[in-house]
Amino acid sequence: MSNSKRLHPISAVTNFFKQLKELIVPFVAFFVFGTRASEGDLWFFGGSIAVVLVVLGIGVLNWLRFSYRLEEGELRMEYGLLVRKKRYIPFDRIQSLDFSEGILHRPFGLVKVKVETAGSSGADAEAVLTAITKEEANWIKETIAQAKNTLAEETMDTKVEDIVEENVIYKISFKELLLLATTSGGVGVVLSALVAFLSQLDDFIPYESAYREVEKMISNGVVIIAVLVFLGFLFAWMVALIGTMVKYAQFTVKKTEREIIISRGLLEKRQITIPLNRIQAVRISENILRQPFGLCSVHIISAGGSVRNTEGSKVMLLPAVKRVEVATILGDHLPISTPVLPFNKLPKRAFPRYLIRGSLMVVPVFIAAVAIFKLWGLLSIVLFLFSGIWSYLKYKDAGWSIEGQQLNIQYRSLIKNTLFMKKHNVQSLDYKESIFQKRKNLASMTSLIKSGMGAVGGTIVDIEKEEAKEIYQWYSYSRKAPF
Amino acid sequence: MNEPQKRISDKALSVWRMTGAFSSVIVAIMAGGVISLSSIFSWPVWIPIAGIVVAILHVYLYVYLFPLLRWKRWRYEVREQEIELQQGIFVVKRTLVPMIRVQHVDTRQGPLLKKYGLATVDVSTAATVHEIPALPMEEAEELRLFISRLARVADEDV
Repeated sequence: MSNSKRLHPISAVTNFFKQLKELIVPFVAFFVFGTRASEGDLWFFGGSIAVVLVVLGIGVLNWLRFSYRLEEGELRMEYGLLVRKKRYIPFDRIQSLDFSEGILHRPFGLVKVKVETAGSSGADAEAVLTAITKEEANWIKETIAQAKNTLAEETMDTKVEDIVEENVIYKISFKELLLLATTSGGVGVVLSALVAFLSQLDDFIPYESAYREVEKMISNGVVIIAVLVFLGFLFAWMVALIGTMVKYAQFTVKKTEREIIISRGLLEKRQITIPLNRIQAVRISENILRQPFGLCSVHIISAGGSVRNTEGSKVMLLPAVKRVEVATILGDHLPISTPVLPFNKLPKRAFPRYLIRGSLMVVPVFIAAVAIFKLWGLLSIVLFLFSGIWSYLKYKDAGWSIEGQQLNIQYRSLIKNTLFMKKHNVQSLDYKESIFQKRKNLASMTSLIKSGMGAVGGTIVDIEKEEAKEIYQWYSYSRKAPF
Repeated sequence: MNEPQKRISDKALSVWRMTGAFSSVIVAIMAGGVISLSSIFSWPVWIPIAGIVVAILHVYLYVYLFPLLRWKRWRYEVREQEIELQQGIFVVKRTLVPMIRVQHVDTRQGPLLKKYGLATVDVSTAATVHEIPALPMEEAEELRLFISRLARVADEDV
């Protein structure tokens, strides 16, 4: 069907950067923990350059060795530096093609194509063409789609439409983007990176004399310090804000007949495709910062993805929308509905158990604090207050409901999560009852669903025993009542 | 409470007691080490005593009590539509696995199980693995065939 082709040369460069990125940790470690002796500097410098050159060489060779072609209904790839590998993927095993554009791709009109297959062998579940032109990518997509369609027409009588209809379900508004960025947890990351970075600069910044200056300043006024600290925070926050906004700009969700397509990003465009029949559950998460605004994020838990790449198994569908609007936006686009329901709550007698469990985690910290800091350690008693509040929230937020063939579970770790799943997607169900729970007529339920190659579970602890039995009964396929 | 009906082989008790005994031997050796160290360095007397107590308690729990409780609790039932398991010592856990979710069934047998003519059945879904330990070999084999036949009938996508 086609001659074998190479990727665009830019892929050698992206390979190089990718390898370099993996080397950054050892480099930083070397910089942080490395010797300060001046004689080592030259070696370090020369060694670094040698490593970089080798990595560049490998990147180029890898590019030279990689070829792909479409042949006999298969995507055929040959690659490998020392070990020559051939990988043939039949078109009908290809689940989806995802195009993304990195910063390096954009000036040349290139895309990175990720081929998601229905392979069950985990690591082999995907293949990547690092950089090809957009026309080429579209041509591959059409060729595969056509081949699949003729195949479908041969096997079935139903006619498959040639033109795939795309509906835009959701497009992020600027206001939502701003809210998303301001309430994201990215600030902490940037802040800690800043602190780590500053602490490594004592070679270059004369901290000691700076401290003396600072002492003077303190005598001049605490205000200046406060302002400086505040400016530092503001800077970190701005960086995180812009970072998140760039990442999630133009967030768009589209739906075709059989799949959901999500694309996002300003500098780096990314796209991910989820076939509808791979969707296992929908999760709505409300973190503490977003709850006051009534905001939540929606994730799809899908059976896609692989061991190496868990990205495909939990995909963000809506980054920040009002909880009450989720059902309106999603409508009946997904196989799973996400209504705002009155959930069945936990009985009052479950609360003490939540409190005790929460405090048990704090007790060791408290004892250690008292042992080390003596009287001052008693201050850590505040921790009990925090754990108490947290336990109360966990108790208050736990709940469940059953709507026909759908089970919905609500629980809180740090974030309040609501998990919506269909009965036929639940892989197995656990009913648990400890000695202490038995005394209080309580039980725990866990429902496990497939996520990528593994399982995720939704657990509610200390639910009324009769209700737990009710869920168990609902899940049971046999007419005979298990209880 | 209407529990699953079938029990696992009573030889499981002997197997579990054996494995418990193995770990007890290791604990006893460690306890012996602590006792000799404390006599060499003349540590306070409660340390060797604690060592002895731990070793004895370990034997009682892992050779006698836990295997017994575990065996008493272990029940399973394989119905047309689903598999139900019950297990646990302090926490009773009951699991439902629908037949249409079963992907494959394995039997396996280590040296200890082989000695007693037992085998373990592993039932795998797309996301989870469920184990029925220590069944008589023929029964395990039958169960494997039975489940795989039912699971094939109930084929459907994930």
